[in-house]
This record gives sequence, C-alpha cells and structure tokens, in this order.
Amino acid sequence: MRRLVLIRLAWMLPILLGVSVVAFVLMRALPGDFAQASAGTTELAPEALNIIRRDLGLDQPVWEQYLRWLAQLLKGDFGDSFTTHKPVLGELLPRLAVTAELTLMAGLMAMALGASSGLASARLRGRTDWLVRGVNGLFLAVPNFVVATLIVLLAGLYFPEVGIFNYTPFLTDPLGNLGSLLLPAFSLALAVSVTISENTRAAVLEVSSQDFVMVARAKGLRPHTILWQYLVRNALTPVITVTGLQLASLLGGSILIETIFTIPGMGQYLFDSVSSRNYPVVQAIVLVAASIVLFVNVLVDVAYARVDARVSYE
Amino acid sequence: MNERQPLGGGNAMISVGLLMLACLVAITLFGTLIAPYNPSATGADSLAGPSAAHWLGTDSIGRDLLSRLIVGGRTTLLITFVAVTLAVCGGLALGLFCGYVGGLADQVVMRILDVVFAFPVFLLAIAVVAALGPSVPNLILTIAIVYTPRLARVVRGPVLSVKRWDHVEAARSVGVSEFNIATRHVLPLIVSPVLVETSLTLAQTIFTVTALSFLGLGPPPPDPNWGAMLSEARQFMELAPLAVIGPATAIVFATLTFIVLANGLRERLDVASR
Amino acid sequence: MATRINESTLADEANFLAAQSLQRRSLLRLAVSGTLATLGPLASAQSGSPKLGGTLVIGADADPIGLDPVTLTAYSSYDFTALLYSGLFRWSADMKVELDLAAGYIAPNDTTYIIRLRQGVKFHNGQDFTAEDVKYTFDRILDPATASPSATLFSGIKAVTVIDPFTVKFELKAPSATFLSYLATNPNGVIVPRGVADLKTKPVGTGPFVFESYEPNQQFTLKANRNYYEDKQPYLGTVVFKFFKDQASISSALRSKAIDMTWFKDPKVSAQIVKSSPDLVSAPGKTSRTFPVWMSMKAKPFNDVRVRRALSLATDRKACLQTVLGGSGKVGAMVPESQVGGYDGVGPMPYYKTDVPAAKKLLAEAGYPNGIDLGDYIVVAANALDVQCAQVLQQQWAAAGIKVNIKPMETAPLIGLWLKGDFGLLSIALSWSPDPDAIVSRLLSTGSQGKGIGMADAPLDKLIEDARAILDNTKRAAAYQQIQKHIADQAYILQIYQYPLRWEAWRKYVKGYVPLAANIRTFVRTTWVDK
Repeated sequence: MRRLVLIRLAWMLPILLGVSVVAFVLMRALPGDFAQASAGTTELAPEALNIIRRDLGLDQPVWEQYLRWLAQLLKGDFGDSFTTHKPVLGELLPRLAVTAELTLMAGLMAMALGASSGLASARLRGRTDWLVRGVNGLFLAVPNFVVATLIVLLAGLYFPEVGIFNYTPFLTDPLGNLGSLLLPAFSLALAVSVTISENTRAAVLEVSSQDFVMVARAKGLRPHTILWQYLVRNALTPVITVTGLQLASLLGGSILIETIFTIPGMGQYLFDSVSSRNYPVVQAIVLVAASIVLFVNVLVDVAYARVDARVSYE
Repeated sequence: MNERQPLGGGNAMISVGLLMLACLVAITLFGTLIAPYNPSATGADSLAGPSAAHWLGTDSIGRDLLSRLIVGGRTTLLITFVAVTLAVCGGLALGLFCGYVGGLADQVVMRILDVVFAFPVFLLAIAVVAALGPSVPNLILTIAIVYTPRLARVVRGPVLSVKRWDHVEAARSVGVSEFNIATRHVLPLIVSPVLVETSLTLAQTIFTVTALSFLGLGPPPPDPNWGAMLSEARQFMELAPLAVIGPATAIVFATLTFIVLANGLRERLDVASR
Repeated sequence: MATRINESTLADEANFLAAQSLQRRSLLRLAVSGTLATLGPLASAQSGSPKLGGTLVIGADADPIGLDPVTLTAYSSYDFTALLYSGLFRWSADMKVELDLAAGYIAPNDTTYIIRLRQGVKFHNGQDFTAEDVKYTFDRILDPATASPSATLFSGIKAVTVIDPFTVKFELKAPSATFLSYLATNPNGVIVPRGVADLKTKPVGTGPFVFESYEPNQQFTLKANRNYYEDKQPYLGTVVFKFFKDQASISSALRSKAIDMTWFKDPKVSAQIVKSSPDLVSAPGKTSRTFPVWMSMKAKPFNDVRVRRALSLATDRKACLQTVLGGSGKVGAMVPESQVGGYDGVGPMPYYKTDVPAAKKLLAEAGYPNGIDLGDYIVVAANALDVQCAQVLQQQWAAAGIKVNIKPMETAPLIGLWLKGDFGLLSIALSWSPDPDAIVSRLLSTGSQGKGIGMADAPLDKLIEDARAILDNTKRAAAYQQIQKHIADQAYILQIYQYPLRWEAWRKYVKGYVPLAANIRTFVRTTWVDK
C-alpha cells in the first residue's frame, strides 16, 4: 500500500511537467498574443508591439521561454503578471484562498445538509424517505450554475434591495465575507450533498439491522459505540473521498459560480488571464489546479484500493 | 455496504428514464420540425412576455423563446450524444488495451490519461475554441477528449481483476483462446459498469456542454443552445424571467433523464457503486 | 471641434511677449470666454450648493491596464486617467474645447501655437508644473522608443519649445483643425511630470484626484487633490471604483446602493433598471460611436460596387436600431452626430432606404441572380450588442438572398485581421474619437488600413486631406457631410446606427455630474453627494 502511494506520488512530477508543457504550447497556439491583446482597439505600429514583446521575452523561441520559466519555477518564482507587473504568486494565493474558502464552506454545508437528510431518511422511513430521495434526485439534476442563476433571479425579483454581489475580503470584514459567500456556497453544496445523503442513509440503515445489533451485543459491546464507530468508518470514508473528488474539480465549477456572483477566485482569474493572454498567470493556475486534482486522485485511488480488495494495482 | 432499498425496483426507474430519453431523442431528431417559428427570425417585440403568438415570450432581439428552446435542445443534445459516444469508444479501446496488456504500456497510457484528466476542462475548452473557433464539431471534440479517461478507467478496472480470477487462469491453462476469454468472461463484466458510467457521463456532459456555452465557448450564434440562452437572459431577468426559467427547466429535465437512467441501471444490474 | 478664441495679427512672437499691455487685454478676453464656457453648463447642472467631502462609489466593468497616459492602450484605463491627470485643454460640458492647464494662447499663424500656462500648479508629488513638463510629455509621446499610441495623433507636431517657465510654443508641420481637440482629450493630451518613473503603477498628475490604492478586480481608491487649481473643486473627498464582471451584477449593485453611479453597455439593461428604481437618473447620452460593417474590397465580390450597394439596400437600419438598442440611438453614417459635420440620423443618404427588390436586382446585374454567399461575418464576441445586431442583419440580408456566416472572435485576433484587411465582412465599433478626421482617415488609400481593404479613391483622399486643414467649423462640417455622402454612395463601408458608447445612470443624491459624449468622466470634479 505504501509502495503504491509512493509510486503514484512519484508519477505526479512527470505528469505535472506534461501538463505545464501542454498549457505552454496551447497558450501560444492561441491566435493573437499579449502585445496585441493589450493594445485593444488602439492600433500600435509593429515596432511598438515588438517593444512590448521584447520586454516580456516573447520574442525568444518557445522552448527557450519554457526552460526559462521552468528554471524560475524551481527557484520558487512563478514570474510576473503581464498586465499588473506584480508577482503572480502574490496575486494567485489570495484568489486560491477565496476559492478554497468557498469550497470549504460548500463542503461543510453539503455535509450538514446531506448528513441530516440521510439520517432523517433512514430513521423516519416511509414518505420522508421518498421525499428526501426524490428531492436528492432533483438536486443532482440541477447544475450548480443553474441553481446560482435561479437564486440571483429570485433575489432580483423579490429582494431587489439586498445586495448579493457584494463580496468583501475576509480580512476587511469577516462576517460580511462569510455572508457574501453563503449563497454561492449553497449553489455548490446542493449537488454534493446528495452523495453524502445517500451514503449516510445506507450506513444508518445497515446499522439499524437487527443482525448487526445482535452481533454487537454478543461481542459484549454497547450498540451505541458501535453505531458511531461504524458510521464514521463506513459512511464518512466514501463521503470524504467523493466530496474530495467533486471539490477537487471545483476549478471548473467555480468559474461559473465566481462569474455569476462576481467573486474574485481562481476560476475568474484563469478565464481573464486566458482572454488577455497573460501567460505566466495561466501557467501558474494550471500547475496549482492540476496538482490539486492529481493529489486528490491519489487519495481516492488509495481509498478504493482499501475498499475493494479484488482490484489490484500491481 | 451500500445496500439500497430500491424505490420501486430499478425497473421502474429505467422505464421512466427511457420515456424521458425518448422525449429527448425526439427533440434531437425532429426539433426543427416541431418548433413553431424559425428560431433565428427576429422582428417581434424584444423581451415580450408570454402571449398567444409566442407561448414563452421573446428574447432580447425578438425571437420566439419556445422555438429557440426546442432547436437549442436539439443542438445541445446532439453534442452530448455524439461526444459521449466518442468518449465511450475511445474509453473502451484504451481501457481494454491497458487492462489486458498491463505492464509498462498500461502505466504509460494511464499516466497520459492522467495528464488529460488533471488538465482543467475549461482551459482546454477555451483553448480549443480560441484556436479553432467556436463550432459544434470542436465542442464535441473537446468533450470527447475530456471524458475518455474516465471511461477508460471504468473499463480497465474489471479487466485487470478478471485477468487474475482462478477460473480464468484455469481456462487459459487448458488452452482456451484469449479471445474467448475476452468475450465470455471479461465482456459481460464490463457491460454493466460501462452502461452505468455512460449514463452518468451523459448527465455530466449536459452539464459541461451547457456550462461551456454559458461561458460563451459553445456553438456560435445564431444557433440557439441552452447554456448561451441562460447566460444571455441573466441581464434581463426582471423583464423576462421566462427567458431564464425556460432553459433552466430544460437543462434540469435532460440531466434528470440520465440520472434516473443511471440510478435505475445501477439498481437493476447490482453493480458495486463508486 | 476647436473654438478659436483669439487670432492675433502679431507677426513677431518676441514683440508679443514684450507688449505686456496687449497681452493683458487678450488674456482678459480669453479668461472671460473661458469662464463663460465653464459657467454655463455648470450652473444648470448644480441645484443647491455643493457639500464638501463625501464619497462617491462608481461601478466599473473593467480593470485599468496601466495608468501611464503616454503608454496606455486600454479603454478601461480612461476612467482613471480622467481623474488623475489634466491637460492644456479639456472638453466642456457642451463638447467645446476650453482652457485647462493653459491660461491662454495665441496663434500667430496657422501652424504655431504659443500657450501661456497656469501658474502655481503642483503635481500630486509636490513638484511644480512648468513648461518643461509640457515639453517632456510631448517629447516622450513622439519618441519612437516609447511606442505611444498617441504618437500618430500628434505626428503633425514639428517642434515643442520652452520659451520661459510658463510659456511653451508648438509648431506644426501643416495647419490642422484637429490639434486642439487632441490636446483636450484625456488621456492623449494630458501632461505628465518630468523625471517621474513608473507612472504605470504609481500615477502622478495634476488632476483633481490623487491615487491612493488599487486592489485588482476589487477596488480602486482616489482621494481629493487639495492643491487642485480650480476653486473649491473637487467637492468630493474620496472616489472609489468597484469592479464588476457583468451587467447583471452592476445592475444589482446600483439597485442595492452598493454603488452610486455606473454606466451600461446595453440600453435595454439601463432602461430596465431605471424603470424599476424611481430614484435613479439616466443620462440621455449623445451619440459618440457608430456600428460599421467593414468590407474588404481587394477581391470579388466586394470589389463590385453593385454588391456593396445591394447589401446597403437590403439593410433595414431603423429595424436594427429598434430591435437591438430599443430605439436609444439614431441611424448612423460615417461620423457620429456629436462630431463636426456628424450625421443627424434623418437626412437623406444614398442607398439607405431599404429596398429588397432593388437589392436583388443589383445582385442579378452583378452576376448573382440566385443570391450570393458572402462567407464569414466576423464580430467581436465580447460585445453583446454587436453580436445581436449581426444576427438581425443576417436575417435581413437573407431576405434578399444574401447569406453570411456569423463568426464571433476574440478582440485581439480580430483587430489583427481588421488592420491587415484579411476578412470579408467584419464589424468592430470603435470608441469615441476626438475628431472626425481620425474616423474618415481610415479610408485613405494611402493609409495602411485603407490599403489593406483595397481603397483606391483618389478624389476621396483629397476631400479627406483638405477637410483636415479647414479651420472654419461651418465649412468643415459641410466638407464632412460631403465625404459621408460619397462614402455611402460607394458603400465602401456600411454604417448601421450611432449610439452613445455607454448609457450612464446614477442615484438622485449624486449632484453636479455631467456626462460627456466623449464618455470621459472628467466631470466627477464638479460632482458632490447629497446624503
């Protein structure tokens, strides 16, 4: 098992290298470059554009640019943003923090919502069970950006005085910050809560079965302790791995939510930087996003390997 | 561990799902015939509410919303079906190859797929659209690339495990051909998970297609599609809420179809769920 | 659009400087006309006396890219340079050139301007403003190493000379009616302090507001310049720009009072929000730009004037105006109404009257009796109005048998194609131009762009070049009317409608603000908040 984990982690490096090369080439394959993009509708003479290119090192051959970028990276320097001339890392980290905060809030909401609905569904049975499972199906079917758009629509129609696009940074106003992320996190949490709900329900049902309690008593253990131990082991593990998977792919989902609610996170940053051909920023975001996805992938694979002994990864 | 009390049996869900699917297929095939107006015809009042002439009202340049919804569904669903078909084919091929051959080739291919998997979907889509232009084939290509790794993994798993089963080894030692082993032992095992994963992927693809069009990376105007309609309607939400609710409902209906199918199949085929 | 205030008959500038009494008299005349130009609209804009201090929050839809007025290219930066910097002249509320950092000027002949500067002005860093800064600014602009976008605008300058610390002389290569207009335009003509580096991120100017802080994608803060030379201005203590990604969030912010003022790109959106909130004011906006359909005439079929005229006849401009802009604008020609000689939207223009059968007939004559496929019609993907109008046009042209394929493209590559003429049909609406010459000069067959699209009309070239030098406004207006009619007759470029660049909206408690047709927010200096 440990060997497996080490192998997978070791593979991360070449994969990340591959991802960065693809991103590098892809960005330069896009029509128009930064010099043109920054000129906008103003016509600059070709000499003027070339001056901009020379300042940013864009007139070098592509492979040289890549190696230079790699060398800088190994020193821990992600380069400077083409538009603001400030270090990319300094701009990336706050935005990553925002997306992470949003993700975390969504995860917590999903767990709260999912666990309680799953519990209610398993314990109360009957019509509640049907209702919860039906509503779950609906939650799963509504994409998060559709939820977000509908929320904005309802807010605009019935609560026009309430500002929903008023994101404030955490350090400026912690309470306001949490409030402004409530609705966006909720949009993300709905779909994720479904899997949690289903898994909680299944685990609770299992625990409720007579055999299990009998076996527990025979073993001399108190059913209550076993209940919680069992729940934690069997319900939370898949819950966390699934949540982790879904949240790791959040960079994609967060672009939409961030766009709709105007939150300055990684998703918007990526979108804007691609449009303005801000190469260093795109490279940095791709690297960070890919690392997160790969890392979580490894965790998930490890978890499943434990669960399903039949699957061998040799 | 994941015991599910079936709601009404997987069969009921499959039936409902197939019915919904039939609606979607009908729209995909006959959309342009069903639509009351030409979806690109401008001229009516912009952002008008529902009326006898226009059941759902009009959009920002006076086009009939209902027609745009139907024909938009056609485009969206066409992209979804074709892209997923391609992804399934690609995934099957790669998964069988990796599972069977194993060893270094397996590792290399899987790592390449990891690169694709790790790459942010939206960056890939943005790049393809910027480089090749926004169009239906380009979007199909992007989505097929994105979802192939997932299906490859789903196929690879059972193939890897079956390879080592005792009675398979026994059959091999007796001289049964690999081909027979493949068709009689392996294939049946992968049908179920592939079916379930395909329907899940269909649901996810609707999400991705509409999300990409929402961001402006989908088929270019005047071709209607649900994601772009939703995005455009956001600006005029108070004047024409139906322009938002229409596409939203359509997207939910389509996604629900595939989820219901996936759930039903899963129960019916009793597959260990992921 | 320059108002000539004084035409001196003095031949010798040395004599002029020595003749103090003469100077004082002319200065007085200048001062009076200058003040009149500012007092008029200001008096009507104000209601009650201004409250000092106060904060104005403005919603912006794009971050600035660079704050150095000499090198910046992004339109989004204009919002900020309008408040940070000032120039020798500026635009008044009714779009006339008036004095700003210049206290007065004399034009001894058609190609020389001697400008007397305001005294006692300080830059935001305490540095004194002198003629050296003026020379420094224009030397920088004209230096090829700077790659300034304003270089082409001021390429007619032969020399800039410092006469004394508060007098500067401009010599032009040829008489130009555009010179003062360009000097009055922010940011092209504003003055930067000599010897101050890195204005891109640390702007220092003579404007009514001082740079305080900037958090990208979040907020940009400015504080009042206590040393500003206009009496009591600026009234506001702080100006904050908040950044939003799209129209929906800006609308919501304005409605919930998170911002006090903003502008919209789509008149339907601004109409919607003003309708829903009784205490919002919306500016009628003067038209400042047109929506053109460019054609590259290097090859078939666009080199055939009949095909171009057919396209014009198949277009229903009024319908486009109604459907896309909700009627908020006018039918357009080459020059928008707010410029000298601009088209008023109602006068007769050749081939403007929609006539589909005539269009079909022309196409048949040109050899396309069964209609024609004109290929890709490229539009800016990010401009919703452009994309909408393109779709309306596509439908209209289809009725005449003309087929096009709409291709939305990112702005950067689109501009590359446009400048080279590598397209069939292409639309890009440009922002406000200080002078009609900049607009029509694009069609000069001697210019790189004109060459790119295959222009070869020598008589038109002469008309354009002559109009540049006409110093009398009435004569100049007539010249541009003639040029526009000729362009429409030959259908070199299809103009659809003209409209304001932005539709401004603000809450009733924001007073004293005057929106300019140029869409430059310089009148924030006269704004105050009554809360």
